[in-house]
Amino acid sequence: MIDKVTDQPVQARRYLDVAGVAKSFKGTVIMDRMNFRVAKGELVSLLGPSGCGKTTLLRIIAGLLEADTGAIVLGGRNITSLPAHRRNISVVFQNYALFPHLTVAENVAFGLRARGMTKADARAPVAETLALVRMEAFADRPVAGLSGGQQQRVAVARALVVSPDLLLLDEPFSALDRKLRETMQIELKALLRSRNITAIFVTHDQEEAMGVSDRIAVMNSGKIEQFAEPSTLYARPASPFVMDFVGLSTRLSGRVTAQADGIVTVQTTAGALRAHGDYPQGTAVQVGVRPELIDPEPTAGMNRINVQLDDVMTLGSKTVLHGVATGEDQFLCELSGIRTDFTRGATVTWGWSVADTLIHARPT
Amino acid sequence: MIGGSNRIALLAVPGLAFLAVVYALPLALLLFKSLQGANGLTLVTYIDFFSDEFNRVVLWRTLRVALLTTLLALVIAYPTAFAMARAKGIWLTVFLVALVLPMSLGVIVKAFAWSILFRSNGFINTSLQALGITDEPVRMLFTETALIIGAANVFLPFMVLPIYSVIRQLDSSLPEAASSLGATPWFRFTRVTLPLTLPGVVAGSAFTFSLAISMYVIPSLIVGERQQTLSMLIARSFFYLRDEPLGSTISAILLAIAIFVVLFSSWLAGRLGARQ
Repeated sequence: MIDKVTDQPVQARRYLDVAGVAKSFKGTVIMDRMNFRVAKGELVSLLGPSGCGKTTLLRIIAGLLEADTGAIVLGGRNITSLPAHRRNISVVFQNYALFPHLTVAENVAFGLRARGMTKADARAPVAETLALVRMEAFADRPVAGLSGGQQQRVAVARALVVSPDLLLLDEPFSALDRKLRETMQIELKALLRSRNITAIFVTHDQEEAMGVSDRIAVMNSGKIEQFAEPSTLYARPASPFVMDFVGLSTRLSGRVTAQADGIVTVQTTAGALRAHGDYPQGTAVQVGVRPELIDPEPTAGMNRINVQLDDVMTLGSKTVLHGVATGEDQFLCELSGIRTDFTRGATVTWGWSVADTLIHARPT
Repeated sequence: MIGGSNRIALLAVPGLAFLAVVYALPLALLLFKSLQGANGLTLVTYIDFFSDEFNRVVLWRTLRVALLTTLLALVIAYPTAFAMARAKGIWLTVFLVALVLPMSLGVIVKAFAWSILFRSNGFINTSLQALGITDEPVRMLFTETALIIGAANVFLPFMVLPIYSVIRQLDSSLPEAASSLGATPWFRFTRVTLPLTLPGVVAGSAFTFSLAISMYVIPSLIVGERQQTLSMLIARSFFYLRDEPLGSTISAILLAIAIFVVLFSSWLAGRLGARQ
């Protein structure tokens, strides 16, 4: 069977197949019958706030935590009941977990030695992998003196040298400062792609998730809310939670007052707004719009709102306008480049296209 | 104006003065006494000591008992320390109380309690005979084995606590990292857990060995005069023989062993620690 979207055998999309995995702890459900599939070579992120179950899922896949029910299949091998050391899944830990009593090279060699390779035989692959992360000059140093970025490189080398079937990374960039984080993200992504490594990142940072992954699973209280490409998540969030967690947006609560031809009219505190959708009259909904989709000079047919320009923030690559609508709702309008043609305090009309309006039923 | 480091040095003065008066000075006098001959300084008491076969037997026994006591305490303490490090809430309290409370009981009470258990008509022997395992009572008191078991029991906290504190600080993701890299539980233990907890083992062993090599009350109560140790020889020299040079000599030998153990273990701990 061939998948219509990817042109690949469907089996390939099931390289990692997590089926019905559930976990409770002291009567509290942490993970509720999770289904989760990853294709070979895919880079996937588990994104969510702390306590959403993303680390639990990672630990269950790694074999560091036992699931109550469910099955995990990796590359056609049922690994559900295998202990961590027999799964061939490498983990890069949040604090890197380098062995403090070993040198850089000994750390990298650890997995090979654990697989019974002699010291002499391990030398070549260790040197090769250290060169891959540009740490060959540090081979004989103790790990204690390394910087955060260097430690991460060693942790990645240590995880990759054993040719894992799957690489798991738990918040791998959170200990790095912002600039280094971006560099390491680009480097790591290129490295994983070049070796066709299947990897799962766990992160709470949506920018990081969007930067490193082919697909993102947004998690909330032990469930996956949406599992899609970054662009889809952003443009078509499946739930108010996803809309809220991925990217900035202005949200307004309202009720559907009219419905015709696949377009609903919603009465909100900022006025009547239209959106593509199919909700019966009277439905409580939440509508939203991304800041960069707001047009300060609206054209005909757009949703319109009147706002008082509260603040103009010049951020270099972009200018962010802050407006307060009638009913105290706050809107952000993001324009590229430096803009000087706005005056604080002025009352202006903003708009955005009906197609760009995000709409979800409000949970009752 | 007193500088920062001077002020800190000032804080050490009471401790140093105390140690100088009650520790360093008397020991220096003792050492001097052991070297004092009729015509100035001499090593004759040392030569006399080592040329006596009895003394060599006692020295060897003292070292052997201290070493075996340390080993026994280590074998019991190591897994215990792990259990304690994993224990939470009430269980941790139970462990700590179980460890520390017997220390407040004193050795004498313990020793008499043991004799009830181990003597020829004691609980163990009566049980063994009732079960038909032996026909005659097994001698357990007044043996070296009894001494080692008793000493290990008394010194156990000094072995457990240093190991426990090292395990507590051990990053739990390190064994997990080892597992995910394919290490079997045995490989993980020998290559990660054990090396990282060795500093605690060294510290605990140094404590226990130092205490065991100089113990006096425990052997006096458990084995009595039958099997002398260095400490008992020292006491005998001073109290019964009134031979101060001999007592001083044995004391100096004991001190030399203790200093060697302390220096060696801090060197070892430093070497192990330097890599981390």
